[in-house]
Formats: sequence, C-alpha cells, structure tokens
Amino acid sequence: MLILVFLISGSLAAQEKIEIFGYFESQYMGTKVKSDYYQLFSNKLRLDLKSDLTENITFAANFDYITYHGKKEWNILDFLSPDIISQVPPGMESFYILPFSNRTFLDNAYFKLSLKHFDLTVGKQQISLGTGYVWNPMDVFNIKELVDPTYEQPGHNAIRLDVPVGNAYTITALYSPDDTWKNSAKLIQFKGRISHFDYSLVAIEKVWRFHDYTRFDYEKMNFLELPEQRRLLGASTAGELLGMGVWAEFAYNWMNLTENFYELVIGTDYTFDFQTYFMVEYYRNTLGKTDHKQYTLNDWMRVFAAEQKAISQDQVFVLIQHPVSDLINLGLQSIYSISDQSLALVPVLNYSFSENIDIMAYLNLNFGKEGTVFSKNMGNGGMLRARIYF
Amino acid sequence: MKSLIAGGLMVVLLAPGVFSQELTANDIIQKVNDQFNTETSYGKSKMTIVTTSGQKRTFVQESWSKDRGEKNLVRYLEPRRVKDQAVLMLNHADDIWMFFPRTQRVRKLATHAKKQKMQGSDFSYEDMGSGDAFVDDFTSKRLEDEQKEEQDCYKLELTRKQESGSSYSRLIMWIIKENFLPVVIDYYDDKDPTYLLKTMVASDFREIDGIPTSMKVVMFNQNDNTQTEMELLEVKYNITLSDAMFTERSLKK
Repeated sequence: MLILVFLISGSLAAQEKIEIFGYFESQYMGTKVKSDYYQLFSNKLRLDLKSDLTENITFAANFDYITYHGKKEWNILDFLSPDIISQVPPGMESFYILPFSNRTFLDNAYFKLSLKHFDLTVGKQQISLGTGYVWNPMDVFNIKELVDPTYEQPGHNAIRLDVPVGNAYTITALYSPDDTWKNSAKLIQFKGRISHFDYSLVAIEKVWRFHDYTRFDYEKMNFLELPEQRRLLGASTAGELLGMGVWAEFAYNWMNLTENFYELVIGTDYTFDFQTYFMVEYYRNTLGKTDHKQYTLNDWMRVFAAEQKAISQDQVFVLIQHPVSDLINLGLQSIYSISDQSLALVPVLNYSFSENIDIMAYLNLNFGKEGTVFSKNMGNGGMLRARIYF
Repeated sequence: MKSLIAGGLMVVLLAPGVFSQELTANDIIQKVNDQFNTETSYGKSKMTIVTTSGQKRTFVQESWSKDRGEKNLVRYLEPRRVKDQAVLMLNHADDIWMFFPRTQRVRKLATHAKKQKMQGSDFSYEDMGSGDAFVDDFTSKRLEDEQKEEQDCYKLELTRKQESGSSYSRLIMWIIKENFLPVVIDYYDDKDPTYLLKTMVASDFREIDGIPTSMKVVMFNQNDNTQTEMELLEVKYNITLSDAMFTERSLKK
C-alpha cells in the first residue's frame, strides 16, 4: 500500500501544481499500571497531496501509515476497579482487549468546487463543529482526546455544501452516507456574526452506533451493536466579554430508544501581559453519571471506544501556558470531574527544536480514588512525541 | 481645480523643513497613520527570528489589507509546519479568527490574543495589526527633533490612553521628516513606562506605487535578547480586493 502511495505521489509530483507535504511522527507512551510499566511506541507517516486542478477545483488527500511496537494489546480490565470487572460476563474476560495494529489508510480524499455562490466538497473530509476547545457537544462525528484536544481528527465520507449569504453568514448542508438513507447522517448549519460574537445553529440526524459491552455478537465477532437514531439541535457562540475570550456550545439530543440528553460547554480564556495564557472550560453531559458508584462496564467501555464523550456528568478543564523562552512553551492542564471529585494533572512541554521539528512531552498524573474517572488505576504515565514536517 | 489645490497643499505639507515647526504631534501621527493605511495593499514578506541560542527561524507569509487597514488577512507559506495557517483580522483587529489547516478548524480569538507573540517572534499580533492604533490608543506629544539612523526626524512621545487595551504604556517614535515613515520606535513596558521592552528599526526606504515604504524592519527585544527581521519581498498598493476575501470562507482556502 505504501509503495502504491509513493508511486501515485511520484507520478502526481511529476505533473504541475501538485504539492506533496506531510510529516513523520515518532511517539513513545509509557504508563504504570499496577506493578507493571506498559510501553507503546508508534511511528506515523502522513503524506498530504494537494492540487488546484482548475481555478475552481481543488483536490486534497492524506495517506497515513502507522506502525506500533512494544505492548500492542492493552487489557482494558487492567484499568478498571474490581466492582466493574465483576460485571464482565463469565467467559468474556479475554474480549476486553484494545489492540494497536499497524495501519495504512486513506484519511482524507476529496475535491472541492469553489464557485462565487457556493463551495461543494465531496469525499472523505474532516468535519469540525462547535466552539469548544476540549469538548464539542455539536460534533457528533468526532471525540477529541482529553489530554491532546488539538490533534487532527479523522476524515468522514461526506458531501458538503457551503453557501455564503453576504460576507457574515454561511449556510452549510452536509450528507454523510451510510448503508441506507435513513442511517445516513444529515446536517444543516447556519453560521453568522452579531457585533463581536460569532454564532451557529445546527440540526443533525445521525445513527449512533453504541455497543452493549456485556453481550457478544458471535456472527459479527464483535460486541452487540445497538444502533439508535439521534436527532440533535445545537447552538454555539464565541466572542469577547470584558476583555476575555468567551465561548459556549449547547446541544440537545432526542434519542429514539434511550433517554434524551443534553451537552453544554462554557469556556473563557485570557492572555496576560506577561504572555501567560489561561483557559477554563466547563462541560456538562447529562448522559454522564453524577457519582462514580453509578458507573457501569458499558459506561467505561463506551468512553474507551470513543462512543461517548464523558463518563461523569460535570467536568472542568483548566489550561495555563507560558512561553518560557522563544522556543519552549510550558503548560499545565488539569481536568477535574466535579461529579466524582477526581483530578488529572497534565504538565506539557512544547519545544520548537527547529523550523520544521516540534517536540512535545507530557505527563499524565491521576489523583482520583478507585473507581473514579481519573483514578490512580488509570495509570500514571507520559508521552514523548517528535514530529518532523516536510 | 479642487484637486490641484489639494495636491498643492500636499506638496507643502510634505516639503521638509518648510512648515515643520508648525506641525503638531497630532498632525504628524495622523500623517504616519495615513501613510500606513492605504486603501488596499498586498505584501509578501519574510520574517527571520534570531533566537536566544542564535538559531534562525524563517517564515514567509502573504498578507492582504483593505479599507485602510480595517480588514487584514495573513496566510503563511513557509515553513511546512505552519503552511496555510491563516489569520483574519476585521474591525481594526477587534475581531480575530485563526485557521488551523491540520484540523480544518477556525477559532475566534479575543483581542487579548494580540498580546501573544506571532509564531514565537518578537512581533506581537498587536504590533502587526491596524495602523490606527497610534491614533486611537495613544495621545501624542512632540519632543525636540533629532537625527536618528542618519535621518532628520520628528520625535514623538505616545502615551497610552486610559481606555486603551494596548500592552505598551508608552512609545517613543522617530519619524523621517521627508516621508513620514517611522525609522525607530521604542516600546515601553505595560506597567513601567520607563522600562524599554523592544525597539523597532526600519530601513531600506523605497517608493512603491508612489507610496514611501520601509522594506525592512527589525524588532530588537531587549528583554529576551532576541531579534526578528521582517523583510518585504513584494508589495502592491491600491489593488482591487473584494470584501469576500476577508471572510471565514476565504480564510480556509
């Protein structure tokens, strides 16, 4: 596959106006779990292609090739409390494995037609919705990494139409096809600006593919899927109040089978004169639980499998960042679950090693008691990543 | 006939030494402001940062400006790490949006973000923003004329207005009498008006499309002992730019 990618890119490069760029990323992750220390190494090559086929048509694609080394199978039960493990049905203990397998895939591949009155984007493309930094209630397509929320999100197969209305408003319609029309995602969004505030209103219909992690579907050799129609109405805003950046995002979800729920994000940020940057973001998800004693095996697995954004109902994210030199940024992220009163601290270092080489390192320290979302059982560890752009 | 009178007045105002004594600080800073804020402009520039360890970092960017600096769009071309990152500033940088191509996200930034260093350089977004800041955020006082960088200069002291959100308490500016371009600007600390933070030195003055332009600007950061050079590679004034260029849609292109 990789050879094919290089052959394609090589022949494309021979033509005019083809840009080939990307990055190579080498990453080490270590976590202390009980008395053991797990290590996972990964190498990722991302190759981007971009071409202006005509004045109005752009083609873009990314190929990713990722290899994993070290501990490539993580037993999720290692991180859970005995209460939760006791919910595992007899004989299914070996199913709770999170595998890290080498992958080669086409992450994005789309063309974009830009005319005076609209943009039409067709193919696998990134979809980003909402104003939240860590959590995006309106985004039913992606779930961000809590400790690394700015990492790029995967592409989704979709047809997207953006129609500008004047210079301050845009109407977006998006269709992400699935096996049937009913199961396909449909979205309509209106974005605009009032004074110094941006706002958006969105309506989405999408099938949410939950799993029941206590039942196994031996035909599909996977946990039993519980697809459910989800209809969402959301609104977001971002602007400035009393000199501070402020944003909010809200989404109400009507579920076909299970309980309706809502998600809310409120955030603020500020840069002090001495260059220190401060951010707070509060997140509520009524699908989450108010006490760690209510957490179930399904709750945990849905969070690990990125089916659900949070296990606890109320959480706060705080970020303090300061450029200690022109090349080094030091930061401290803390994530606190108000619901179960557990805390994770994540000191982060960003080092601009050279013009096209970034180094990032963080520690992930959990301080919660057993059974909480940031319990010590989650393992204290860290990550070191070097990324070389070309 | 009107235009001839206006033209004649312009010549008189621009003639060095003739009525210079009569020019007030406000007259001078207004002329500097007008000079900076042409109706539209396009520029391609190279920014070279000399870090504390002596390493060099080079960025190349394109920028477009409209409505006398009210609308600005900056897009990075190099290095690869930041390629296609773009910043849109409207309403004299009171509204700022940043586009991150890797995540395809547009983030609205509050005006406090103007204090942040631009790509780790010695220029903040505030330094690069609207030229109206000299008039809107500061009151000007004329000091005794001086020679600076071998140029006959007006010397002005700009003190921050109480309601201003600028991160500099005071600026000292030397303005070339011949063309009303600042040749040196001293930037003083937000809290301590006697503490010199940075000094900007302009050079390589040329006339582009009839408008005096400094093709090179170096910002020396006394605090961090670093410097950043901004060199104009290409510049055009009063070109045709549509309002659609200064929208979120254009930011993502």
